[in-house]
Amino acid sequence: MKIRIEAIYLKIPTLEEEEPKRINNRRGKKKKEISLETEHTSMAPSSSSGLTFKLHPLVMLNISDHLTRVKTQLNPPASSCANGNNPSTGDATLLPQDFRVYGCVIGAQKGRTVEIFNSFELLLDPTTDTLDRSFLEKKQELYQKVFPNFYILGWYSTGSEANESDMSIHKALMDINESPVYVLLNPAINHAQKDLPVTIYESEFHVIDGIPQPIFVNASYTIETVEAERISVDHVAHLKPSDGGSAATQLAAHLTGIHSAIKMLNSRIRVLHQYLGSMQKGDIPCDNSLLRQVASLLRSLPAAQSEKFKEDFLMEYNDKLLMSYLAMITNCTSNMNEVVDKFNTAYERNSRRGGRTPFI
Amino acid sequence: MSTVEAVITSIQGLSASSGDLYALHDVLKGAVDSLRTDSELQLSTLDQLDPSKHSLGYLYLLDVLTYGPVSKEKVLLIARFINACDAVQIRLASEKFVSLCKRFKDKVLELRDPLLGVAPLLAAVRKVQVSTKRLTALHPDCLQLCLLAKCYKAGFSVLSDDILEVDQPREFYLYCYYGGMICIGLKRFQKALELLYNVVTAPMHIVNAIALEAYKKYILVTLIHSGQFSISLPKCASTTAKSSFKTWCTPYIEVGMRYNDGKISELEAVVVANSSDFEKDNNLGLVKQAVASLYKRNILRLTQKYLTLSLQDIANMVQLANAKEAEMRVLQMIQDGQIHALINQKDGMVRFLEDPEQYKTSEMIEIMDSVIQRTIGLSKNLIAMDESLSCDPLYLGKVGRERQRYDFGEDFDTVPQKFSM
Repeated sequence: MKIRIEAIYLKIPTLEEEEPKRINNRRGKKKKEISLETEHTSMAPSSSSGLTFKLHPLVMLNISDHLTRVKTQLNPPASSCANGNNPSTGDATLLPQDFRVYGCVIGAQKGRTVEIFNSFELLLDPTTDTLDRSFLEKKQELYQKVFPNFYILGWYSTGSEANESDMSIHKALMDINESPVYVLLNPAINHAQKDLPVTIYESEFHVIDGIPQPIFVNASYTIETVEAERISVDHVAHLKPSDGGSAATQLAAHLTGIHSAIKMLNSRIRVLHQYLGSMQKGDIPCDNSLLRQVASLLRSLPAAQSEKFKEDFLMEYNDKLLMSYLAMITNCTSNMNEVVDKFNTAYERNSRRGGRTPFI
Repeated sequence: MSTVEAVITSIQGLSASSGDLYALHDVLKGAVDSLRTDSELQLSTLDQLDPSKHSLGYLYLLDVLTYGPVSKEKVLLIARFINACDAVQIRLASEKFVSLCKRFKDKVLELRDPLLGVAPLLAAVRKVQVSTKRLTALHPDCLQLCLLAKCYKAGFSVLSDDILEVDQPREFYLYCYYGGMICIGLKRFQKALELLYNVVTAPMHIVNAIALEAYKKYILVTLIHSGQFSISLPKCASTTAKSSFKTWCTPYIEVGMRYNDGKISELEAVVVANSSDFEKDNNLGLVKQAVASLYKRNILRLTQKYLTLSLQDIANMVQLANAKEAEMRVLQMIQDGQIHALINQKDGMVRFLEDPEQYKTSEMIEIMDSVIQRTIGLSKNLIAMDESLSCDPLYLGKVGRERQRYDFGEDFDTVPQKFSM
């Protein structure tokens, strides 16, 4: 059941932006938005190349891993001694806010589908502001030996937006791949934002001020997983606190995870439900492709409607309720016990131990 | 210009916002004495005011008017006022309101028309209550009127709130006692038992008449509800109660002991012997119900011993007249849900079954859900109580003392005995 939930919420496109975007889809291609777009919308995506991008979660894990490692190496925790631990950038006790890491993404392109499978790290040469070319080529040879089908598709970096300096790096890569992609991961933790903070940019030549210039345009993508990859994603998603604590904290962490997964599933189903309801009422024009997708999603669910299922389900549900009732009663009794103890200590009239002066 | 007119104009002027209301309150407090002596104040002057908008002023004037003997039209006027008044304004002068309502109740009782007073007092209780958890002085009066008017359902709606804060113990005793009686009237013996238990085990230094009466009813209700009698009071009852109740309630205790033995004839003999006492306490009806419940208890005991039994045997063991009566009683108990059984009419056999509740239905889910919600609420209240107790200076003083005793030679700071705030 749990794996089903994850599969479902990996596959459901983020429809939260679907409805408001339908109204303001006339914004035009030049607007650089960080928000994600689904691949099923009928509005024109910012990128007009018509390529579909598929991103594997391994890439995202690698990028965030890279960033975390470099950050902790440069900024050791206060308890460990600082001298001798700092590498080349020894004077950086505090990282600048816009610290970035860079790397390369590799994958395969079949027809109009670009699939990004893997990535590796690169160093940015601060003097020339370009990626270290020799290292890149060396790595590429090594990867070519192991994965003969994969070649360099583009590069990645971290940050919140794409800048002008990124364009120079992008241009430098154009001799390896005539149209590289730029994967940007936003490491800022935004609890309100529910989507992945990953954006993929392509470069297109647009006429600005009479000169054709390449600019970054937003491209939509989907997440694609292979069964084997799902194991690692699962593992990362369920990292428990390592100092195991007691069984209680582990159970609490586990239950919190399940709770948030179910909450997310619930909210997405609610969005779908509301959408379908308004479609039925006629507020929104019917979109057959979307309806077909919803139908296929529903058919893939293991729903059962027989009498026996209902009975067993209700019985188990009631058992769980009884257990939580028992837990609540135990909780209550322990609270009551504490209250009574305190009350007796405070208001006991007789002295309980011999030789003590009675409390006046 | 007379004080009456001045007061009326100030009432009409100052009843708008809460700041004005405070000013009005001061004005009225100052004017009370002069209003009492002023003969110009009549019922007709009240027509100039609207009870819902000028509740505070209306209250004060009504209070002055009803100081002396109260006539029937005044009673009706008070009833109308209580129904129409504004709760926020009333709470500023709650003692006056409470005394007005008490006078109203006395008058209503004098007129022997308690039904007239039930609805106004119900409304009054809701309006004076600051929160549903607080007991007000009007609760027992309201319940008393409901009892006398025999509208038990109305009284029960007041009882359904859980009371957590009590100002005056006497109100609490009366509330629980009347509440218990209302529940007995509605045949909700479980709740009656809880309420009467509260009175019986309440802390008291000297024997309280209310508690005594409650104890008598408590004995009878335990017999009806749970079918057992224990001579000793629950452990948490006060020592005065434990020592003195028994001497005052001997007939009831005798009834209880005979009930425990289980023989109908002996029980009835005891009842007949002491019937004058029971009648004096108005408990004869309850005693008769207790006798009837002895049959039920005996039949219930049979279900624990036998799997099947013939109707004739049941009649013999329970000392009923014949099999027909046994069948009727068993049928009644099955309908009430007290036992689970199958009556085979062909050969007159009764088969006792287990509780068929499988906890599989969705109605059960709702019951469980509501029960869990209530427990969560209770837990929250307990935690709040715990916190307030931990901050209690009495408690902290005692805990500090104990630590002081056992920490010889250690470097702990001792908890100060008295806190200067």
